Amino acid sequence: MSYISSNEDLRSITKIKKLTKDEIESLISKSYNCRVNILKMMRNAEGHIGGAFSSLDIITVLYNKILRHDPKNPRWPDRDRFILSAGHKCLALYTVLADQGYFNEEILWTYGQFKTRVAMHPEEKLLPGIEFPTGSLGHGLPVGHAIALAAKLDKKNYRVFVMLGDGECQEGSIWEAAMSAGHYKTDNLVVIIDKNGLQVNGLTRDIMNISPIEDKFNAFGWEVKKIDGHDFNQIYEVLSVVPFVKGKPSCIVANTTKCKGLTFAEGQFQYHHWHCEQDKIDDSIEVVNNVCRKELEKIGK
Amino acid sequence: MENNMDKEKIEEYDDPRKVFSNALVELGRKNPNIIYISCDSSLGASGGEFHKIFPERHFEFGIAEQNAMGEAAGFATCGKIPFIAAYMPFVAFRCFEQLRDDICKTKLNVNIMGNNCGFSVSSLGPTHTVLEDMGVIRSLPNITIFSPCDGPEYYQAVFAAAEIEGPVFIRIHRNKVKRIHSSDFKFVCGKGEILKPGNDVTAVTCSSMVNPTLEAANILENKGVSIEVLNISTIKPIDKELVLSSSSKTKKVVSVEEHSVVNGLGTAVADVLIKENPVKMKMIGINDEFSVVGEYKDIVDYYGLTPIKIANSIENFLKV
Repeated sequence: MSYISSNEDLRSITKIKKLTKDEIESLISKSYNCRVNILKMMRNAEGHIGGAFSSLDIITVLYNKILRHDPKNPRWPDRDRFILSAGHKCLALYTVLADQGYFNEEILWTYGQFKTRVAMHPEEKLLPGIEFPTGSLGHGLPVGHAIALAAKLDKKNYRVFVMLGDGECQEGSIWEAAMSAGHYKTDNLVVIIDKNGLQVNGLTRDIMNISPIEDKFNAFGWEVKKIDGHDFNQIYEVLSVVPFVKGKPSCIVANTTKCKGLTFAEGQFQYHHWHCEQDKIDDSIEVVNNVCRKELEKIGK
Repeated sequence: MENNMDKEKIEEYDDPRKVFSNALVELGRKNPNIIYISCDSSLGASGGEFHKIFPERHFEFGIAEQNAMGEAAGFATCGKIPFIAAYMPFVAFRCFEQLRDDICKTKLNVNIMGNNCGFSVSSLGPTHTVLEDMGVIRSLPNITIFSPCDGPEYYQAVFAAAEIEGPVFIRIHRNKVKRIHSSDFKFVCGKGEILKPGNDVTAVTCSSMVNPTLEAANILENKGVSIEVLNISTIKPIDKELVLSSSSKTKKVVSVEEHSVVNGLGTAVADVLIKENPVKMKMIGINDEFSVVGEYKDIVDYYGLTPIKIANSIENFLKV
């Protein structure tokens, strides 16, 4: 198992392309614009903002730089698949898919309306780009693993990326699937754990400690790497070198901050599902835009 | 749909699991997308032959049915047609949410073989003796439920399942079953059949209770009571027209099933009757309890499911 604490460590292990300054700036802008769009959606209804904001940087990198996909042909048989197993983070996925051109951004503003296509958990029949419906935790990894096995059966070279929440790893079905992927040596399967350390009722370590999650996946036959889930270079670099080891499934443990970018809410479990007061939306957008500016300034230096 | 039963030595009795195994192999030859999923159940579920012939299309997922059901869904999204087989409680209950969310809601072509339905393995006790599967599974939208009664039905049900766009649940009994259908029989999803015409009462049954009900009908025939016996091999969607036409004629209905009377075949029939032709009805089955432990022949006697006891129940019902 290798743990990445810095870009240098990762580069020493593998030959990796690095993002240019412009690319990072573009990714930051896109990711924070998605956060703003999520806040705009919340003018209509409450939502799972915490996990959406913690996973957004990773999902942004995936769709912009990693996945082989075609928004104009969402069911292209050779596409890479992304399954958001922790379906409640779907506000992040919706805004990224809209940005990618899978559907018109106007659909986002129907959030919370009767029969909206952007439901609080994603439904594949409602929107192009939703690979598989999720919502009940622990379902995405078994499904994703079979899709990866089907690629091998069909001699196709697509990859399957499954995003899990860290709280979700308390579900037994995750470990059944993890054991299965280790058993079948499914190396076209990648798990990304959005490890923000919080779940509905508090700290994951207090409610049901999943640590050491890296050792657990490792023991189940996976190759594991750990990254900062808000460092665009680290996200890009680690996702660029999957599979980490031929003949093993890959697991990325991404340390993230719940509600990243909304500073007053960061790291607080109460924002897992935010019952937002409407007069706070504009201020929140301002907060997120300020964080975005600071992130861009850091890159500029 | 070809019926290859003729290629077998014609016997009066068929082993449902062997029939399933033969059908799956034949289906696998015709369609390269057929895959077989087992949960440490490939031998018991008779997928061993499929494994020998198509090892690359057999996926063993161990004693982990939640994962296996999710995997079946994943394969189906890629155009594969999975047949997943395991003991009834483990495919019907353990992974119920995966069946609901990942397979029924998505309407994927996944075919579930619930092995050892009813009292198939009653000596293993109530954990393995499932008397509730029809009720639980029937409540799911988009799913089709088959409960075949003999070799030709079992064989063709497998082929029919693969053709249906959406999940199919097939109840498979362990006991060898007397063949009542000829080789030119054609199984049609959603269609029941009159096995014996009659005028005084309609006896609706399925699976392992078809033969005992026919025998009960013969017993009563000798006493001058004319029973119309319906074989309902598709539990969902049920053959409403047949239930209504027969009950309109006889004005009385009895259901006979090796299953709980709570949400079983009888309830499915009652759902039809109460809306469109409310007639007097009796449900013969297991009355809302977990099974006692015992050998098959003792346990069906205990629960009143032998031909003579079924005949007595029907006779008493007709007296009321």
